[in-house]
Formats: sequence, structure tokens, C-alpha cells
Amino acid sequence: MNSLPENTWELNEVAKNTDILSEISSEFDIEANPGTTSTLQFYDDFDSHLWKANYLLCQVNKQQFQLIDPSGCIDEVGASSGARFWWEFSESQVKDKLQSLVGLRAVLPIASINLLETDFSLRNDDQKIVVKGRLTQTLVSNKIALYLTLQALRGYTKYYTRAAQLLKPFIKAEIRHFGLRFLLMNQDIQALEPKQSALLSLTEDMRTEQAVRAIAIAMLDQAKLYIGGVIADTDTEFLHQFRVNVRKLRSLISLLKQALPASMLDALKPRISSIASKTNKLRDLDVFILAQDSYRAMLPANFESGLNELYHLIEKQRKQEKNKVARYFSSTEYKNDVTACAAELSQNSVFQTPMASKPVLQVVKKLLLKRYHKILAMNAAINSQSADEKIHEIRIEFKKLRYLIEFFVDLLPKKRTGKIVSEIKKIQTVLGDYNDYCIQIEFLNGYIDDARIEMSKALSGLIAILYQKKTEERPKVESALTDFFTENMTIEFDLVFGAAEPGDSK
Amino acid sequence: MKVIACYSMKGGVGKTATAVNLAYWAAKSGLKTLLIDLDPQGASSFYFRIKPSSKKWAKRFFNAYENLVKHIKASDFENLDIIPAHLSFRNFDTLLAGFKKRKNRLKRVLKGFNKEYDLVILDCPPSISYLSESIFNASNLVLVPVIPTPLSERTFEQLMAFFEENDYPQNKIVPFFSMVQGQKSLHKATMEAMSARYKMFLNTTIPYSSDIEKMGVHKAPVDVFAKSQQANYAYIKLWKEVSETTRKRG
Repeated sequence: MNSLPENTWELNEVAKNTDILSEISSEFDIEANPGTTSTLQFYDDFDSHLWKANYLLCQVNKQQFQLIDPSGCIDEVGASSGARFWWEFSESQVKDKLQSLVGLRAVLPIASINLLETDFSLRNDDQKIVVKGRLTQTLVSNKIALYLTLQALRGYTKYYTRAAQLLKPFIKAEIRHFGLRFLLMNQDIQALEPKQSALLSLTEDMRTEQAVRAIAIAMLDQAKLYIGGVIADTDTEFLHQFRVNVRKLRSLISLLKQALPASMLDALKPRISSIASKTNKLRDLDVFILAQDSYRAMLPANFESGLNELYHLIEKQRKQEKNKVARYFSSTEYKNDVTACAAELSQNSVFQTPMASKPVLQVVKKLLLKRYHKILAMNAAINSQSADEKIHEIRIEFKKLRYLIEFFVDLLPKKRTGKIVSEIKKIQTVLGDYNDYCIQIEFLNGYIDDARIEMSKALSGLIAILYQKKTEERPKVESALTDFFTENMTIEFDLVFGAAEPGDSK
Repeated sequence: MKVIACYSMKGGVGKTATAVNLAYWAAKSGLKTLLIDLDPQGASSFYFRIKPSSKKWAKRFFNAYENLVKHIKASDFENLDIIPAHLSFRNFDTLLAGFKKRKNRLKRVLKGFNKEYDLVILDCPPSISYLSESIFNASNLVLVPVIPTPLSERTFEQLMAFFEENDYPQNKIVPFFSMVQGQKSLHKATMEAMSARYKMFLNTTIPYSSDIEKMGVHKAPVDVFAKSQQANYAYIKLWKEVSETTRKRG
């Protein structure tokens, strides 16, 4: 069956509900329901994951949330008014969607809308309803807007056309996709602005120093975006993303140091290193707390009191450490360091080194090949007896290699580079899992305390299990390395990154 | 999609009132419902304030589903659409007589609504004819209102016999007592006797009620103007029992 017309129009500022209804009353009998008022509060995370995936999370009353997609409300769920994380919502589609879309992020209020909705029906001479309608009045930042929706009914479309004609003098504009999303889009919500720092678009013949400076400034700006969330302790992802961006910045400067003036490196390196080191402990504590459920599942029930004591201690330390980090980010030391870094990076390029003025694509391709062959050589020295330190080193090299590709991905052949990156991601997962066991064992070892017997028992239990898992994981590391370093991969690196001259086809 | 026919060979037994109120409650329960008024008198269309098409279209009724779609009208209620009757429907039998495989004709055209509707309710004219046979074939349930009087009992017996003679499955027939006047001993006695003889009678009975008669004045289902009256509760109960029976039959 054909779908029926349904349209929404924005009405002129001067239009009033009474004027509009009296206009149509010349030809129809009107039956208007009493208007209903509501205030809707919308939530999303820092990265607007829900908005980007076409969902809205709306608090309809104190403890009731609705998840809305373009077709309407898909689920309604209870949660305390302070709920911020997916695990704080009751079992529902809302909880599942938040888990998959928002993950560890907190959802926070982003906007609210005040609505006054008046439904009405138009009846013909037979007293049959022939058109249904709704007047929607919104109040946003002291500005009132009025919308009219008319819905045709099957078999009565001619009345719909007539009603629309009668109301023409009141109409300002037709709204194509009317709904809550449309109303929010009209609000210029700051929380929904893109969070990606603007990066100058790179070109393959851009000089290397210029390109490195542009990327580095974007990284630093991006890292700074997360500081507010770390200080407010909104969620653990703020610190994590801050650290990722600082780590990337350090990698970029270290990988392309030959394109930068020595004086600049001297100024940047200790400052960035100092900024990064201040957050190490807090991140370790976050990781342990986030893994709480899986750690609790590893031990039998009789270790529960020991684990409780451990988590109590760690939560307390986290609180102290979080305050310490927040104080640091508000300190003159941090502000001076970050300002000095930004000032260094923003200076005009000086092209003091031979690499500085070379076309960036040429330099990057050469560097990618060099880094690949370095890792290949490291891999040759790894066997089942190699120390964990060696695995850690090769993991770091893979990370740098991937960062280097990602910094310049827009200049590299898209499809083939994408395949290489996906292979690197696979090996990074295996190496990362192995490293996590090593780090956690070391982390937990630091808490063994003879004066806390129950807690130390739980720690020993966890360490033993993690050691077992680490031992089981080790052969996977070697096999993943073997799978990655095939003859074909070396040929592919040579083919994709070998031709370093500008103008090479992508 | 399920098809329920409100049928009786006898007139004035409450077929239309049943069709209208059941369609209303089915739609209210969330089922996308289509009520087809097959009775040329057009009473169920009238109860929903829907006028028939000005053109005679009975000739095209059994040709294709697309012809029916053109005549669908929205009711005033969510999920409920109606195909109003037309006086030309009185010629259905003559038309069907000219078709081969006429018994399957209605079933075939209704198939087209499968995606659009969960339930089709047929308000049937009081006769036993080619159209009735087409209805028996197309329906999952043939809901039969029976006034508990000897004359209605006789008519019901005739219907059972007709089903048997023509090899229609008798279990499609779902009777219930309609226009019951509890104070009349004749009604009581007939109900007892028929319930004992025919185990398929529904438990729900529809009382004789002025509220049901007033549907013509209000041009609406009982719930709209007599929400807390006995007749309304009876139709709610009837809908629950009919929907449960339909569910059980698969």
C-alpha cells in the first residue's frame, strides 16, 4: 500500500495555536486535546557516540530513560538520576546499546528541550475524523518555535491537502525530518561539536619539518581536550585518551627527530616526558579497577575478603592519585610545560637538517621501510627463551610503526596500507595481551604486604593465575610473530613503501 | 494474518455489533486490523461514520487485492481500517456464480493484505450462498452470534449441517450467545441445552443492551460512549476469548 502524506512545517513567529485552529475551523470541526508539557533532558558521552550512531538517550522523568532511534522509542529503562555508565542501567536494550556504543565513557547531560504538544483531529460534515494533527511548541534558550504536523488518513487525503492549503499563510518553512533530533540540531549544542582537532591537510610534497610540526600541534591540542574530563573525573577514558595522544606526540617527535632542530628537541623531550609520567600510576590503578569483575571471577569465594581489602586499598589510592593528577593539571608547572611545547611547535620551520626540507612522503616511506626492517631483525633474535623485556621492546616498535602509518595515512596507498595496518593490529593484540599479564603481575606484586594476610593471599592467588595465563600466552606470541613476518609481508612493505619519490601513484 | 468472519444465516442477531466492537478492541490491543463490510446494508461502515464509495465497484471486488486497497478508509481509531460496503455488493452472488473456483475467490484476494494487517474481520450478510462459501473458505474462524431462542437454535443446526454436507471443517465454527436476556427462562433453558449439545460455544455471552442499540446514535463502538457499561465489558471479554481461541488454533 502507498504510504500516506505526513508533513511538518515551522510556523511564523507571530502564529498562535488559537489563530491556527480557528483558521481551519472554517471548513472542519476541530477536536483538540489539552496540550501536554514536558521537559526532556538528553545525554551523550564526550565523543557523541550515541548521536553519531543515530540514537538519543533521553531522561523522561527522574529515574526513567528512553533510548530513541529514528523510528521512535526503542526501549525505556529505570536508572538512578545520577546514572552515568552503562552498568548503572537495568537490564535492557538501553543498557546493551550503551555498552556497545559508549563503552567505558560516561553519559552526561548535553541539552534539554521544553515541549508543549497539542494533538487535534479535523472532522468532516459526517463527523468522521479525516485529518490528524499536532502543534508542537518548543522553548529553547528563551526562543519559542512553533511547528505544525498534519497526517493524512487513508481514503481521506483530499482533506489533508485542503487543511494544508488553509494553513499556508502561517507556514514559514517545511521541515523534512521533524523529530527530537531535528529540534536538537537547531540548538547548536556545544557537546555535539566534533572533538577532533583540526589538522592541516598534508600533501606529499610538503616539507617534512612543516608536516611534523602540523601533526604535533594537532596531537597536543587533542590531548588538551581531555584535561577537563580528567580533572572532573568524568570517566577513565579521558585520562586514557590524553595519554594516547601524548604517547603519539612523543613517538612522532622521536621517529622524525632528524627533521627537527636540536634545540627544539631539547626543549620538548623533557617536558613531554614529564607530562606523561605524572599520569602513569593513575592509569595503572584505573586498569586494575576496570578489570575488577574478571579478577573476582578468577578466585574462589574464600578469597573475597582479601580481594575486598585489596580493592578498598586501591580505590583509596586511586582517589588520592586522581586528586594529585587533577592538582598537577591545574598547576603552573603543567601549564608552563604545555605552553612551552605549543610555542616550540608553532614556530616557523627552520629547515636546519637535511631531512627537514625533504618532501614528507619520501621521508615517511623510507622511514617505514627502515622501521619494518628493524622489527624484522628484532624478531629474528626472539625465541621461546627470550626475556619478557624483548617482547616488550618489539611491542613498542610495532606501536611506533603503526603510529607512523596512521600519522601519514592520507598520503599512503589506502587499500594496501589498510591491509598492513590490520595485520599490525592483530599482532599488537597478541603482544598487548601478553604485556598486560606481565604488567599486572608486577603491579600486584607491589601490593604484597606481610601485615595484610588475607589481602596478600588473594594477591598471591591472582599472581599465580596470571602467571599461568602468561605462560599459556607466550607460545601464541611466537606463533603470531611467525605469522606476521612472512616473505609476502616483506615484499608488500617493499612494494607499498619502497617507491619514495614524489608523484608515485597511490 | 488471521481472518475472522462474523456470520449468521439469520439477520438481527448482532453480527455487525460484534464485528465493529471486536475490530475496535483488536486494533486497541495493537493488531493492525481491517474490517471489511460485506453486507450491502453497510451498517458497520455507518457505525464508523464512513460513507461508501460513490462508484459501483462490486464487479472488481474479487478480481485483485489492488482493487480492494483503493477502497480502504482509515477509521477514527489507531490501527483500524475499513473497507465500507456498497449497495452493489448485493450482486456478489450473481458475480461469484460467473467465476470458476469461486469458493477460493475471497481467500485469494485477501492474501494480498498479509503484510499490511494482522487481522481481517468480515462483517457478513445474513444468507447462505456462494459468498458465504467463499467466506467459510477464507476464514480461520467463523464467529456465530446465536440468540438463545428455538428459531436461532434451528438456524445454527442448519449451519452445522451445511458444513458437514459440504465438507467444511466444523471446528471453524465458533458460536456464542448474543442478545441474552438473563431474566427470560426460555433464554436460560436454550443456553443450557445448546451448551450441553455443542461444546464449542464460547463462555462469553453478550447481553441484550440498549447501549448496543445506541451504537447507531453515537456512530461508534460501545467503548466510546458507554465505557463502564456491562455491554462494553462483555465485548472486552469476548475479544479476549476470541483472540485466545485464534491463538490456540494457530
